[in-house]
Amino acid sequence: MSDIVAGSSTIHDLGYRRYTGPRVGESGAWSALFVQSLRAMFGLGRPMKSKVIPLLVVVVSTLPALAVITAAGASKGQVPVRYGQIIGGQLLLFVLFLAAQVPEVLSRDQQHRLLPLLFTRDVTPVSYALAKYTAIFTAVFMVALAPLLMLYVGEIGIAADPAKAFSTMGARIWPVLAQSTLSALAMTGIGAALSSWTPRRAYATAAIFGSFLLPAAISSGLRDLAGVNRNVADLIDPIQAMRTMALIFFAETNRGMELNPPPHILVYVALTAGLGAVGLGVLAFRMRRIRT
Amino acid sequence: MSTTPVIETEGLSRHYKAVIALDALTVRIDAGITGLVGANGAGKSTLIKILLGLVEPTTGTAQVLGRSIKTDHTDIRRLVGYMPEHDCLPPDMSATEFVTWLARCSGFPQSAARERAAEVLRHVGLFEERYRPMGGYSTGMAQRVKLAQALVHDPELLILDEPTNGLDPAGRDEMLGLIERTGRDFGISVLVSSHLLGELERICDGVVLLENGRLVRAERLGVLTGVTSTLVVEIDGDAVLFAEALSARGIAATAERQHVLVTLPSADDVSVERATFDAVRDVAVLREASLLRMERRRGHLEDLFSVST
Repeated sequence: MSDIVAGSSTIHDLGYRRYTGPRVGESGAWSALFVQSLRAMFGLGRPMKSKVIPLLVVVVSTLPALAVITAAGASKGQVPVRYGQIIGGQLLLFVLFLAAQVPEVLSRDQQHRLLPLLFTRDVTPVSYALAKYTAIFTAVFMVALAPLLMLYVGEIGIAADPAKAFSTMGARIWPVLAQSTLSALAMTGIGAALSSWTPRRAYATAAIFGSFLLPAAISSGLRDLAGVNRNVADLIDPIQAMRTMALIFFAETNRGMELNPPPHILVYVALTAGLGAVGLGVLAFRMRRIRT
Repeated sequence: MSTTPVIETEGLSRHYKAVIALDALTVRIDAGITGLVGANGAGKSTLIKILLGLVEPTTGTAQVLGRSIKTDHTDIRRLVGYMPEHDCLPPDMSATEFVTWLARCSGFPQSAARERAAEVLRHVGLFEERYRPMGGYSTGMAQRVKLAQALVHDPELLILDEPTNGLDPAGRDEMLGLIERTGRDFGISVLVSSHLLGELERICDGVVLLENGRLVRAERLGVLTGVTSTLVVEIDGDAVLFAEALSARGIAATAERQHVLVTLPSADDVSVERATFDAVRDVAVLREASLLRMERRRGHLEDLFSVST
């Protein structure tokens, strides 16, 4: 290295100048942080191995949708397209995406001790929290939307008369958006809150997985051992709650729901939106309190 | 030199549960290159973090470039560049990506950020290596990147926390030279914190000395390292007898190993000094001792520590 160093000392004077150009201030900094985090959620701008899980999740979660559309199309509409049921099966994949990627976006900054560099710039703890949260939510929303959107577009596409199909079932876009938004909110809230508390990515990943699996175990324990009402027990389990919410949104039922009618959809809306809001609060609180 | 201080604190204190990190610090730091000196735990990092807005003071006020740290945070952040002491380089990013991203976080538009990053990295002496992931960098290169990100948004004040940490002597010299050139050529004031005194002496105009969170001294360096009134005489012979011979002539002298320390009389008349020099020479001739060196001792920063303890 010494020969590079020796050569550099004579060249340095050409580099530095004072800067008199425009500055875009805090909004520019916010967008830079947002875009970089959104890209990091999909492994863009990071080494190849960070792209594996996002790619895997998107492909595997949309395959069932693709299969159903193909079957429905081939059978000329005989095979029913059950949105709620299909998306319910993909939720675990979304949790995998969350657990793998959110630590890359939140824990990594703490691990590499970047926060003092950011908070001495046009980034405040709260704007940092907002930018990260929005980026994570956008990414999870996109992933949660993909299978549903494929079903929606596919169903209109395979119809004998797409225009007519659009006018009859076009309104289904609302539950598609609602389900994607609310489940993304819940997952983002949980993922961001947990990941912000540790600089170790592996711990954050484990914590996120645990936060979905542990309640599932507790919930089934309550149901089977303590005899708690199924609907109440299911509310404790985030994945089960999102599954039930999906079925309600798309006006589908399963045997369990027919026997035990679930609570009103608003309960699920409040639950998921609440998780999202609390998660954001925890993230902001942590960013303000963190000792840099 | 403008008379507005770049940093001014008044009664600045920071208390933690068990420890007082800063104790009613009142100090004024002028433009130029200033050294912040103190042992570990003296309060240097705490002071730096308070000035940068990373930590809130318990009591007291401070101004950075004339702006209050309580109300003008946004302005201060734009005008100050910070080089932290700790490692802060993600190993899988390249220097270019890293510095560009930080420029954008300082509110630079995308293309300006990229240009500034390139300029600043060239300025600190990183060329082709700036495209490689930083995980493979040597300590010297890593410190340069840290300096580059502190400069990328064109600050008026640089705050550098132990910039020569982990560097070998050659690397330290280069880093200090870079800092000095950056400060002097571009009129950027610099606050350098270090526990290595000798190097600060080289580049600093002034020094602030902290101990246990309190201000010990704050001086312009010229005062501290000016010539003192001690003449160091190195002889090849018995120093004790030499000193006694000088004392017999009425000249205050003490022996210290092979040196004889002669206290020069403070007088405006230079001939009095000359008479002392002549006396030393005469004694050397009389005693047939070889006169190896005669030197007026200059103050060193080390003396500060011995004075204060």
